[in-house]
Amino acid sequence: MNLFDNKLEARGFIVAAIVLLFALPMLNGLTSPDSFLHVSSFQISLWGKYVTYAILAMSLNVLWGYTGMLCLCQSLFFALGAYAFGMYLMLHVGVDTVYNTALPDFMDFQGYTELPWYWKPFESAPFAVLAAVGIPGIVSFIFGVLVFRSRIKGVYFSIITQALTYALMLLFFKNNLELFGQSFILFGGNNGLNGFKEIFGASVDSASTQRWLFIASVLLMLTVYLAIAWVLKTKFGKVQQAIRDSENRIRFSGYSTTTYKLLIFTVCAMIAGAAGALYVPQVGGINANEMTPAKSLDVVVWVAFGGRGTKFGPILGAVVVSLLKSFFLRAAPDSWLIILGAIFIFTVLFMPNGLVGLPQQLKPLWKRIRSKSTTSTVPVS
Amino acid sequence: MKKILLLLGILVATLSAQAQEDATRDVLERLALASSSEQSAITEELSALGDPYIKDFVDAWRTGEVFSYDVSESETIVLRKVSEKFRRLSNDEIFEIADEENDENLSKIRPSRKLRKVLKTITDTIDLSSPDPRARIEAALKLGLSQKTDYLEALQSKIETEENEKVRLKFEEAINISLLANAEDDEALKHSIARLGELASLPARDGIIGIQNEATESGDAEMVAICAEAIKDIDSAQKTIERWGNLVRGMSTGSVLLIVAFGLAITFGLMGIINMAHGEFIAIGGYTCYVVQNLFADAFGTQSAAYQWFYWTAIPISFVVAGVIGYGLEKGMFRFLYKRPLESLLATWGLSMIMQQLFRLNFGAANVQVNTPDVLIGNFEVAGVALSYTRIFVIGFAVFVILMTWLLLSKTNLGLYIRSVMQNRNMASSLGIPVSKVNSLTFAFGCGLAALAGAALSQIGNVGPTMGQTYIVDSFMVVVVGGVGNLLGAGLSAMGIGTVDQFLQPYWGPVMGKIIVYFVIILFLQWKPGGLFPTKSRSMDD
Repeated sequence: MNLFDNKLEARGFIVAAIVLLFALPMLNGLTSPDSFLHVSSFQISLWGKYVTYAILAMSLNVLWGYTGMLCLCQSLFFALGAYAFGMYLMLHVGVDTVYNTALPDFMDFQGYTELPWYWKPFESAPFAVLAAVGIPGIVSFIFGVLVFRSRIKGVYFSIITQALTYALMLLFFKNNLELFGQSFILFGGNNGLNGFKEIFGASVDSASTQRWLFIASVLLMLTVYLAIAWVLKTKFGKVQQAIRDSENRIRFSGYSTTTYKLLIFTVCAMIAGAAGALYVPQVGGINANEMTPAKSLDVVVWVAFGGRGTKFGPILGAVVVSLLKSFFLRAAPDSWLIILGAIFIFTVLFMPNGLVGLPQQLKPLWKRIRSKSTTSTVPVS
Repeated sequence: MKKILLLLGILVATLSAQAQEDATRDVLERLALASSSEQSAITEELSALGDPYIKDFVDAWRTGEVFSYDVSESETIVLRKVSEKFRRLSNDEIFEIADEENDENLSKIRPSRKLRKVLKTITDTIDLSSPDPRARIEAALKLGLSQKTDYLEALQSKIETEENEKVRLKFEEAINISLLANAEDDEALKHSIARLGELASLPARDGIIGIQNEATESGDAEMVAICAEAIKDIDSAQKTIERWGNLVRGMSTGSVLLIVAFGLAITFGLMGIINMAHGEFIAIGGYTCYVVQNLFADAFGTQSAAYQWFYWTAIPISFVVAGVIGYGLEKGMFRFLYKRPLESLLATWGLSMIMQQLFRLNFGAANVQVNTPDVLIGNFEVAGVALSYTRIFVIGFAVFVILMTWLLLSKTNLGLYIRSVMQNRNMASSLGIPVSKVNSLTFAFGCGLAALAGAALSQIGNVGPTMGQTYIVDSFMVVVVGGVGNLLGAGLSAMGIGTVDQFLQPYWGPVMGKIIVYFVIILFLQWKPGGLFPTKSRSMDD
């Protein structure tokens, strides 16, 4: 079975794989810093961050673009993955100089002398990796069962997922949770988790670690891309798209749409979690700000801007909007939110197919212009 | 006729107050010019007057703004310097004094140390005779808590003449609090403690605990028991007050939520678009109050009577402002989004970001202060439970808004149109109802409702760029729980969510309270997926 739709896509994929997996890391690791071909480590980790964003956008695109569920908690799953892996990193910062303990500072600060039991497993790297994928999976599964079983869909689904994001964000902003007369320490409250030192025994900040993290992110992105391309060709993928187009008809045809939706919802949450786990060591921290409902809507705008329901659109959208953001935050910090809002409105009103669909959208216009210009240059005989 | 009587009443009250102040000024003038031997007699006269002007004058006297002025050989008067002008104390007549430093007739006078002390007691206890019962209560408790013997005497003498029953009780409370430190013997102390317990006096609680601790150390079992009893009484009374307070707080938050959710339910139910910028229309309401307040302050000054009207003017203005903006946006943007609910969610979210940033750029990122008109300051007391007027006002306001909305929807032509478009847009259109006009007006009305909520919120919450965000998630929940487009459902669920939230907060904290509410909502939707009152329709997708 051919995964790609046309030759262009196949070639583009191979070129992207070569450039991202080999060329960029080599230019970073093998060239000298003075060479004009050199790619700095800062650039590598910056682009690594964008790649994780792209994965996040792809996971949302599967839900929104193909299954028609506008999920407003995708960045929540991303953050959950990031927190799970961040906990592992947090427990390997070594003995700090202020409190002389191996505990994270915020625990020292609150007078903890040993790790609470629910933090303990995160000392093990395999567990943390598993949790980064598993915790979003479990949360999304439970939530999905409740939501899909009662057939909440359309905008109600969006509203409910947003409420979930909001509620968990409130929770993660807290330092402690008082429950059943006991106090549970949470995940660093406002400051979140940061100040990481080592990952799998290597230094987090070293150039080679960042390079490998970048490669891992790209690998994940390419794998997810292939997986999506494959799923779309299977019956499973076709049913998902049919659910988007007419859920009731699918249900009448004897498919359990609940199961289909639940499955895809859970898988996408896990992908987002994995992206989050790769995000956290490259950015160097995670806090509850990444969980605000606004962040989830940012992801939605990446997808919408790039092209919803296309394979490449979300990647393009995530990267372009992130670049725009970093440019405008420097050039005109006050107006960034206004510009982002304008992008939202403009995309929805005038670019229903996003950047990817723009050439197609402009084709008739272009044709008209060309035909006009040809008629003007060629004299009528 | 009644109005004329009322006006006459006000006139008489003003005149008598004026007469009293004149008398006070006369006494003060005599006091300022009297020799130290005469002064003690005059101070007694003064302490009986209880006019707030005394305080004002004594302050000026202390800070050296009072002068004696020899008009002629035999006549000396008192002048007071008020904003660089000399005014005669007895009648406020302005005296032009060319050279303040070298004028021989003018000399600054200051009260002697002994007199100052007497005057301080008078001014401190002056509020005990204030015509305003609230001021009397406040002063009494303040003096009682200071536990000074001088004030105890003043309190004991004033309680004899106090006629207002409520104020009398507070005076008694203040006296007993003061007695906690000044009681003559243990018997009197025990009596005071027991009485404070009966009065359920919260300010006395700390003092009683102190006495209890002392008694525990010295082994006075009877005293400990009396203290424990009193503390128990105070605590149980406090619990009741808290419970009622929570209920009112919950209802007022629920009321705001209700107004917000009404606007949302109307736009959502009618047009099928989710307005994520609804929260920013709340902020428009809040900021309109702020702007109107500033305009009033500039035009009339903050002390004037007209300034008090700013809030009442701001409420209709905020409705109109938000309505006009909403109308414009409907024409320019929302019109293209009908029947594309998911996309509308995004576009309105973009709009909300833009509006928030505009608020931030115009008014700053910090919250702004909207004052409370004097009428709404203070508490309404029922059986010892103080309910703030602002919260009661908000509840009443919500009832009013709901009534108006109901009247609009059920008694007017526009309401009939709105309902018909809600039920079946195409059919309504084919029957000649101007659907697009109805849409614009309804959307404007929904935005106006949000702004009214913002105006109400300015009295019980903060006004800031993100004030709407706090309510928007909640109000969406209200709409979903109530059943889309169902106003009765929205009403019930708003009150329910607001009150449950407030009741959970003391036990679980605000965050857990909110999380529990959301979780309960999700579970509730398992049971009733369409909300409390689901829309009945034969269409599959409704």
